[in-house]
Amino acid sequence: MKKHAIRKKAEPYLWMMPSLILMAVMIAIPIVTVFQLSLSEISRAGVIKGYNDFKNFKMIFASPTFWHTLQNTLVWTVAVVGFSTLIGFVIAMVLNQEFVGRKIVRAIVVFPWATSLIIQSVIWKYIINADYGSLNVILSKLGIIKKYINWTPDANAYFAWECWIGIFVTFPFVTFCVLSGLQSIDSTFYEAADIDGAGFWQKLRMITLPLLKPSLTVSTVLNIIYVFNSFPIIWTITKGDPADRTHTLATYLYKLSFYNGKSGQAAAVSVVGFAILCVCASVYMILSLRAEKEDQL
Amino acid sequence: MKKILAAVLALTMALGLTMTAAAEEGSKVTLDVIISQYGNFTQDWWLGEDGFEGAFEAANPDIDLNIEIVSWNDLYTVVNTRISTNQAPDILNIDTFADYVADDLLMPAEEYTSPALKAKILPSFWNANDMNGTVWALPILASARALFYNKDILEAAGAEVPTTWDGVLDACEKIKAYDENIVPWSLDISTDEGQAAFSYYSWNNGGGFVDADGNWALNSSANVEAVEFMKTLIDSGYCTADPYTETRYPQQDAFAAGSLAMMLGPCNLYDLAPDINFGVAPMPTNGENESVQMGVCDRLMAFRDDAAEDQDARTAAISKFFDAFYDANTYAEYMVFEGFLPVTTDSAEILAENAEQFQKGGDAGEGNSEYFATFCDMLASCNFYPASKPEWNDVKQGVINAEQQICQGADAQSTLDALQEEILELAEEMAMETEM
Repeated sequence: MKKHAIRKKAEPYLWMMPSLILMAVMIAIPIVTVFQLSLSEISRAGVIKGYNDFKNFKMIFASPTFWHTLQNTLVWTVAVVGFSTLIGFVIAMVLNQEFVGRKIVRAIVVFPWATSLIIQSVIWKYIINADYGSLNVILSKLGIIKKYINWTPDANAYFAWECWIGIFVTFPFVTFCVLSGLQSIDSTFYEAADIDGAGFWQKLRMITLPLLKPSLTVSTVLNIIYVFNSFPIIWTITKGDPADRTHTLATYLYKLSFYNGKSGQAAAVSVVGFAILCVCASVYMILSLRAEKEDQL
Repeated sequence: MKKILAAVLALTMALGLTMTAAAEEGSKVTLDVIISQYGNFTQDWWLGEDGFEGAFEAANPDIDLNIEIVSWNDLYTVVNTRISTNQAPDILNIDTFADYVADDLLMPAEEYTSPALKAKILPSFWNANDMNGTVWALPILASARALFYNKDILEAAGAEVPTTWDGVLDACEKIKAYDENIVPWSLDISTDEGQAAFSYYSWNNGGGFVDADGNWALNSSANVEAVEFMKTLIDSGYCTADPYTETRYPQQDAFAAGSLAMMLGPCNLYDLAPDINFGVAPMPTNGENESVQMGVCDRLMAFRDDAAEDQDARTAAISKFFDAFYDANTYAEYMVFEGFLPVTTDSAEILAENAEQFQKGGDAGEGNSEYFATFCDMLASCNFYPASKPEWNDVKQGVINAEQQICQGADAQSTLDALQEEILELAEEMAMETEM
């Protein structure tokens, strides 16, 4: 009898064991390793030579490129998540209306998100190229421009294009999150509001937005994590160039490690990125726990 | 009972087979070899029974070759990961070696190079791998860079083949006037190979990475002028519009397609642009300097393996590998296959006389003796990167960064001064570490 009780108690943990092992191997061990590497002297060839008194952190904090990269990462995350949420929300509202060909439009909207980021980035790189890019060719054939325009004359222009590509590939995810939220809103709320004489903006502010809050929260939090860590767009388009002015933390640490041979400093940048995301995740956890408590009250 | 007996029998047989295999393996030396992927067909030449691997193993039954072909995009990542996890290859094909020497990972080349092989390697290439008085690697192949120009475009535009920087600007102006949509000149100062552009212009202005004594001289006035000329090319709108991120590969495609009129490119462009009427000329210089061409040389090196049981057998196997690879005909065949230039005298002679007996990779036809005769001659006057200096990797990345900053508007002299100071500090730091 006692044996049976122990087995019953242990059973859930046994079932959880594979995922716990998987998490330990795939998440915990790499995190611990990166922390170790960030505190170690590592030669260019990859030989670990022991603890180096936080030298890697001191070096990156003394580098102006790191601070510029941090600033870029903030702009990149806010711009891409912010604009894609706005555009995704508006498109979801449109796609929630009845119109002919709605299903086709919904299928088309998902394309940018469903296509590989590398392919998207390479295609955009060809579109905006000044010498043979299709944007210049089309504009020129339409007679809008007479001379090819250099769309990427400086680092800011490159970065703006990268942000746009980030928005373009991210907004469909928001659209579908919001669309699923919109479809779960009971139509009687809107009917009641219509009877009370509420206008479009009032319905949006008082019914739609509050009821969409869970969908928007999920899409925003996931997007912050994805976009913050996003590597392919920037690496494919510029590799952080010109003069390291278009890096985000993800591309900067890759270049430090595999081009500049500074794996220790790259690990230190990785730890900084991890810490920033931990803060974001904690804020999210605190807010969602608080909301849960309020709901219970 | 029968089932148990069958299981025991099966287990015994499996164990017996494994032990036999292990005994056979034990008498064999296994060499892990990493080869860089030079083209789409590199693996066809190296791997399989019909490749080098099969032929070598058949001739040397006591050696097991484990060849891995790795693309240049992944090469540094793969090698560094292998080293940091104590799984360094026995033989590696890569471009630099100074970092591995600094960590005492390599075997001196004299330990595994037979006298006959040493005698046929071109002396300048043998010496280019000398660091602190010891040669640490062997050259695997070379490539020469020169000015490639589209004869038809230049003729139609009424432009001369440029021999000076002023000539370049003049030819570009004429080509632009002839057809607005043809890009006259190309420039690649991207992270991938921006150091090559620095070499083309600084060497042809009497400057370079190092001075006559071999000391870093990145901020010389000749170098400042060279980078300022790159900025002039960008600002004039004569060169490819995206020099910061566009590598030379799309530029080579543009040249082959006839939409780029001139480029400083590698010798294998000769085969890549079969449909256009092009010529090859020395690189333009600034004024009265003699034209300097750029040579690029990749290397083969052998790593130490202190855990190997029989060091003598391992070293002998490495020697056999190199002797077999540099065999006059085998090596000549590989050079034609990949389109690069040989670094051994006997293969160079064979190729200059009769490269047509070998096939290019991917059934792209037979070799071309004229190509080898032209570019092998050019190799003799080429300058190479100072890759045996331990700070080279930092210099390479630093120079690219400086070029990009200057072309974006930073002051050339102060940017190169800052780089020079940074590299000298690094050199001092590295020297102190070595002394400790």
